[in-house]
This record gives sequence, structure tokens and C-alpha cells, in this order.
Amino acid sequence: MPDNELVQGLDLDEYKYDFVTESKPVFQAQKGLSEEVVRQIHAHKEEPEWMLDFRLKALEVYYSKPMPKWGGDLSTLESVLDEIYYYVKPQDQMEHSWDDVPEEIKNTFQKLGIPEAEQKILAGVGAQYESEMVYHSLKKEWDDKGVIFDSIEDGLKKHPELFREYFSTVVPVGDNKFSAMNSAVWSGGSFVYIPKGVKLDTPLQAYFRVNQERMGQFERTLIIADEGSHAHYIEGCTAPVYSTESFHSGVIEIIVKENARFRYTTIQNWSHNMYNLVTQRAIVHAGGHMEWLDGNLGSKLTMKYPSCYLVGEGAHGEILSIAYSGDGQHQDTGGKVVHAAPYTTSSIVSKSISKGTGRSTYRGLCKVHDGAHHARSNVECDALLINDTSRTDTYPYIEIEENDANVGHEASVSKIGEEQLFYLTSRGIPGDEAMAMIVRGFIEPVAKELPLEYAVELNRLIEMEMEGSVG
Amino acid sequence: MTQKLTEGVTAAFNADAVERIAQGEPEWLRERRLQAWEVYESLPIPTTRLEEWRYTDLSRKLELDALVLSSAAAATDDESTWPAGLRTAMEEDSEASGHIVLIDGHVVHTDIDAELAGKGVILASLHDAVANHSDLLEKHLATEAVPAEEGKFAALNAALWNDGIFLYVPRGVRLEHPVRVTRWFSESGTAYFSRTLIVAETASQVSYVDEVLSDDFSAQTFTSSAVEVLAADGAQVQYVAVQRLGRGGFYQAVQRTLAQRDSTLDTLNVALGGSVTRVDLNARLLGPGSNSDMLGLYFGDGDQHFDFNTSQDHVSHNAGSDLLYKGALDGASRAVFRGIIRVHPGAQRTDAYQTNRNLLLSPHARADSLPNLEIEADDVKCSHGASVGELDAEARFYLMSRGLNHVQAERLVVLGFLGEVLSRLPLGGVGQKVTRVIEEKLRNHG
Repeated sequence: MPDNELVQGLDLDEYKYDFVTESKPVFQAQKGLSEEVVRQIHAHKEEPEWMLDFRLKALEVYYSKPMPKWGGDLSTLESVLDEIYYYVKPQDQMEHSWDDVPEEIKNTFQKLGIPEAEQKILAGVGAQYESEMVYHSLKKEWDDKGVIFDSIEDGLKKHPELFREYFSTVVPVGDNKFSAMNSAVWSGGSFVYIPKGVKLDTPLQAYFRVNQERMGQFERTLIIADEGSHAHYIEGCTAPVYSTESFHSGVIEIIVKENARFRYTTIQNWSHNMYNLVTQRAIVHAGGHMEWLDGNLGSKLTMKYPSCYLVGEGAHGEILSIAYSGDGQHQDTGGKVVHAAPYTTSSIVSKSISKGTGRSTYRGLCKVHDGAHHARSNVECDALLINDTSRTDTYPYIEIEENDANVGHEASVSKIGEEQLFYLTSRGIPGDEAMAMIVRGFIEPVAKELPLEYAVELNRLIEMEMEGSVG
Repeated sequence: MTQKLTEGVTAAFNADAVERIAQGEPEWLRERRLQAWEVYESLPIPTTRLEEWRYTDLSRKLELDALVLSSAAAATDDESTWPAGLRTAMEEDSEASGHIVLIDGHVVHTDIDAELAGKGVILASLHDAVANHSDLLEKHLATEAVPAEEGKFAALNAALWNDGIFLYVPRGVRLEHPVRVTRWFSESGTAYFSRTLIVAETASQVSYVDEVLSDDFSAQTFTSSAVEVLAADGAQVQYVAVQRLGRGGFYQAVQRTLAQRDSTLDTLNVALGGSVTRVDLNARLLGPGSNSDMLGLYFGDGDQHFDFNTSQDHVSHNAGSDLLYKGALDGASRAVFRGIIRVHPGAQRTDAYQTNRNLLLSPHARADSLPNLEIEADDVKCSHGASVGELDAEARFYLMSRGLNHVQAERLVVLGFLGEVLSRLPLGGVGQKVTRVIEEKLRNHG
């Protein structure tokens, strides 16, 4: 077995996104949250009046809701929320060509490899810097087919009817305290519409970067996948490491119409001082197919449970979740599937690794409503513990109101098996490499679904973490 | 207590009632009751906002204000005067090391094998035990296992218990046959509070079967049990509770088992009757080498509501626990299973398992299952599983193709499903009796 003393000596943080770009925002609201800040955001965005009403009502709901008492430790969050900036506008307008993006911001994204990836493998790219999307572009062939991939603000401006028909219908303002907060101060995020029958063969990607200290990012994404369409959306997140804590609270709403197929991939690698409280939900209509691929590697505390509401016959929901918690990190993640129609199927696969003082929590719900006959659901959670100071929890909720349904939940917790390690080392593989191999094997069912560049990064991370972990 | 609430203080449940019950009792016990009452007063009635009560809404399920304390006089120790249902249940039992019969809160009969009594085994009503074995009771009653601080109901029970059972097995003494306790309740609209304290000393062995019975009640009737089971080093203890109350019964039990080094402490909860069942079972593995098998079985029909809240606390390293709760639900019945395995820091080489399986036999039945894990040690083997599903159509088809009709085949599949639990704890006649009651309930099914 790996000697615990040795593992303890490992430093977890070799966070490669820890660089700061010197850039002057064109506008920055005063710190803290107030009605005035909400009005300023509204004014800067030149929104229709109804959106101001919406924001102000949401602010009231936010104030009226207590801090959640479950999940991660939010005891110090309130003081953090008073100190952060809720709106930072980095440039005057959004650009559609990298050439027009201010040099220092462009540099940031170049360091992250975004423009390069766009050329090679992506159908479209959006980039958010602080509170606003600074860049959005979609390949012409998709534009011609009627695909909309724009900042959420432009979505509201250019497609007001479509926007209003779906906005906040999947995640209502009062869903939870942080969805209310997001509804009050949302800024940035994507607006995506995939027309009937259009099948994107390469992914759309949005990249979220927090650069400034004490920054709160509140992106809002609305996606409508019309009948029979196919698409894949990837979201990546990073921030530099500051001594103060930052806050990210996004709301993602997805409507998957009849027989459409949509996959949403998040790879969250926020710096380890970030609170990441996100509401992600999809409504899936008959024959539709929704997949959440959720990778949580960074942040101080993440609370995020991607959900599928299966409202049409034969709808399918899938959640693949992978979490890595290192020293001081808590990943409180999982998924929710709600079966509200017959013949709906779902699956949740969750894999977590806890190392050092890290804590990984799976929290999930599987609900089958009365009348959702022939519903099938399977949930599997596996947790791997590396040190004796690591912690893992599993809190699945299974609520079944229909007898003609089959629901199963299985979970296991283990540490790396001595036999496995012995077998590999007896074949001449060094201990830490063997350890990394076993961890890779453990997460493989989820990792293989990741886009290539993220899969490579994840593997690298694991190798780094396991280095020197075996004597 | 810092804060005084009045939730749950009623015409029947109040400080005067506690004083009345405590009359003539030794001072330590009176103080313990009064202190428990203070705890009770200070705690709110659990609501569905509490995770552990999420699916059982007491504001709708329990009418505390309507309940009165039992005023029945003790029945006589003459079998022929006992209720027919009680006698029938006892006739079915096979051999026993001793019996206790409790009617409407009073212990009316006690017998124990003379040889065992000679070896120091004590089987007595709590009242007699308080009088004759005060030292043991003062040490163990409502102290280590189910103290008043455990919760609202534990506090109410500790303050108001009327009578109960004390079983003591000295070091090295082994009981070949189970101790059988049969409890009968007859007054509708009444609240009964009884306790059980089982102390098994080092290397002793004992099994204990508690059966709770009644006819149907015309008004809600509340039976509260606090069960404390202590297994010292190397002791082997089996505790079985069979709940067969009539409709209108609210069965509430707080059970805690404390397993010391190398002891085996197994439990089986069978719930077939009553309108509402709520069992809080906490197994604490306190010594290395200790092991607890925790079994549960329920069959619901009509509007029966079952709520099992279990926890497996691995405080010590090298201990094991294995939980299996299975239930079938017919009619508009509902079952809630909430279980948690807690592996405390330092509890290395823990083996802990937890499985809950539900069979829904009717479109109106409902099952909620919450199997939780909290693991704070790394060298552990833990898993849990839960499932909710319909009857295995293939198995039924197989049986029908062998000549059984639809109903027969279905019954067989259900009995096979539930039988797994009974086969894990074979104990003199319990399996047969439970199977017979389930068969009776199945007869009402489609």
C-alpha cells in the first residue's frame, strides 16, 4: 500500500492556469450586491424593460431565501458575497474575430489554447472574460443552416421572441437561492438554437475565464435543440489563484425537443479559492436524448447537480460525472433525473477520487412519477479514496410512485487494491505509474467520453497527482 | 435546557404525568425521568424539513393531542383471561428459554428456565428489575444506548415509560432457545411507552424475539418502544422485533445496539401491521472484530406507511456490518428506507454493506429509498444498493408454465423475494410465523 506519509508530502496544486492578465475594465460596478448594481447591469446591457422587472423580482427572491444548510460548508460564503464585484465589463462590445479582441484579453485565451482549437475542431467558439462575452463566432456553414450561437445578450436583442418563450422556463427564478441570484445579476453566457433536423458534427465551445480578484461570474446559457437536431456544447472554466475567494454561479437551461440529441460537457478547473454553485437543467421531450458530462476538478467548493426532466415518452437522460477532490476541496456533485412520462430511461454514472483532505460527495435524485410506466433508471457511483484523511459521501434519493418501473442504485467505495498494485509492480511498472494506471482505469468509463484535449489533460493531472505517491 | 418550547405537551403528556408515574420509584429514576421530560419539552416535533423525517409528515400522521395515557389495570397471570389473538400468537411459538407477556403496558407473566435462572440469567419486568437489580438498571437504563437526548420520541419514552423488559445474561452463559416476549395492546386512542434493556455479558449468547400484537383500533393508538441492546466482548446476540398491530396502530421504535470487541449483534425488524411504522435503528460497532447483520422485512397493503431510518456507525476499525431490508408494497401503501453507513475517522478495514430492495405490487404503492454513505477512512470496503421494481415477470412466467395459476405464481415470487431475509436469520419458528402472516396478506392481493 502507498505509505501515507509519502502521499501526505505531495503538493496538490500545480495549477497551470494561475496567471493574471493586466487589463482595465471599461466599467466595474461597486462591490457587493444591491438594487443599484442590478439597475446598472440592466442599463449597461440596454435591455428591454421586462428584463429589469425580472431581475428586480429575482433579487427579492434571493434576499428572501435562506442560505442552504445542506451540501458543502457555506458558512463563510456570506462574507465573501459582500466583498465581490458582481459586474465587470471588460470591453465595449463583443467581437467576432480574434483580431479585434483587445490584445491582453486575446493573450489570455491564446495561453488557454482557444483560438487554436477553434480552427481545428470546433463549430463555434464563445469566450467570456469577467462578466461579458468578449468573443463569439460560428463557422459559416452552420450560420447558413440557421444555427444561432451567440452571447446571451445578443440572443435577447436579436431573437426576442424565441428568447422570451424559453428564458427561465427550465430553471425558474425561485428554484434555489443561487438561481435567484443569477437571475438578478446574470451577465454573459451563450444563446444557442439548433434548427429542426440540423446535425452539428463538431462541438460548440464556450470558455469562461475569471481574471480579476474578488470577481463574481454569473453566466446564463439558454439552449434550444429543435426537433431531430444533434449538437454538442462544451464549457471550460479557469481562473487565476488569488488569496481571496471568488464566486461563480451559472444557470444553464436546455430544451431538448422531440427526437433531438444534445450533449453538454463541462470541465470545471476553477482555481481552488472559487465557490462554484451552478444550476444546470434540461427538459427532454419525447424521444429526445440529453447527456450531461460533468467534470469537476477545480474550485474550493462545487455544488452542482445536472438534471434531466424527462417529460415526453421515450425520452432519455444520461449523466456522467467525474470529480476530483484534492486538499481542501469539496466536490458536492451528482445528478437528478425525473421521469414524468412513460418509457423514459436514464442512467447516472459517477466516479470520484478523494485525495489528501479532499472530500467528494455524490448527491442524486431519481424520481419516477405516478404514470411514468416502463421507466428504467440505473445509478452507479464509485468512489476512490487515496488517503486516510480523504472523505467520501453518497446521498442518493430514490422516489418511486409507479410500480411498473425499474430503478437500481449501486455504489461502492474502495481504496486502491494492494493486489492490483502488487500485480503491476511485479511486472516492473514503478509504483507511482501503477497507481496512476489504476486511477485511470477507475475513471475510464467516464473519461473516454471526454473531448480529446480534456481527456489528455485529465490523464496528465492524474499522473502528476500520483507521482511519488507509492514508496 | 436553554429554550422551552411547548410542542407536544398535551393534556396527557405533561410534567404532572411524569411525577405521577415516578411516584414510589427510586430517586435516581425519578430524576432521570424529569430530566428526560426537560429534554422532551426543549425539542420541537420533527417536521419534514428535517432530512430524517422528510417522507413522514407527523403533522398529518400523528394526533398527539388526542392520545391519552393507558389507565388499564394489570391483567391477571391467567392465560384463560387473555385476549384470543394473544393466545393464538403464543401457541404458534416453539420452545423458549423464557417468556414475558405484557398486556396494555403491564407485564402480567414472566417465566424463565430454572437452570438458566440458577446460572444468573435475569428476565424480569423493568419494575421488578428496578427494585431488585437497581445497580444494573441505574448503570444501563437510558444512559449509553438510547438516552433521552437521542430525540423527541426517545425523550418522551424515557420520561413516561410504564413498564418494560430487562434481560441480563451473565458472562459465558449461553441460551439455547430464544427468550420470547409477546406484547398485546387493546385500548384505542391510548399511548403506550415501554422499554427493553438487554445486557449480554462477555462471551454469552442469547436470542430475543419481541412480538407486538393487537386487534384493529377504532382510534389512533400509539406504541412507543425504546430498545437498548448491549453486547460485551465476544457476546452473540440476536434481536428480533415482529410488529403485527391492527390498523390504527402507530408503531414507533428507537433501537440502538452497541457491539463491543468480537461480538456479534444481529437484528431483524419485521413490520406487517399497524397504520404507521417508524423505526430508528442505530447499530454501533464499537470494538474490533464486532459484526452486525441488520435485516428488515415489510409487507404493506391498504394505506400502510412504513419508515425505516437506519444507521451503521463504524466507530472501531476491523468491524463489519451488513444490512438487508426488503419489502413488498400493495394497495396504496408506502415505504421509506433511509439508511446511512458512517465510517468514522480511523475505522480502517471496515466492511460495511447496505441493501434495500422494494417490490411494488400495485400502481398506487410507493417506495422511497435513500441509502447513504459517509466515509472518513480510506482502507474500507463499503457498498450500497437500492432498487425498486415490479414483480419479476420472467419468474412468474416460469412458474405459470409449470402449471401454477397467475395468483399462485405471484405469491410464490413475492415469498421468494422476501424469503431471502428470513433465511438469513433462522430462529425458532419466526420464519414460519412471518411467512404465514404474509400469506394471509397476499390472499387479499389480486
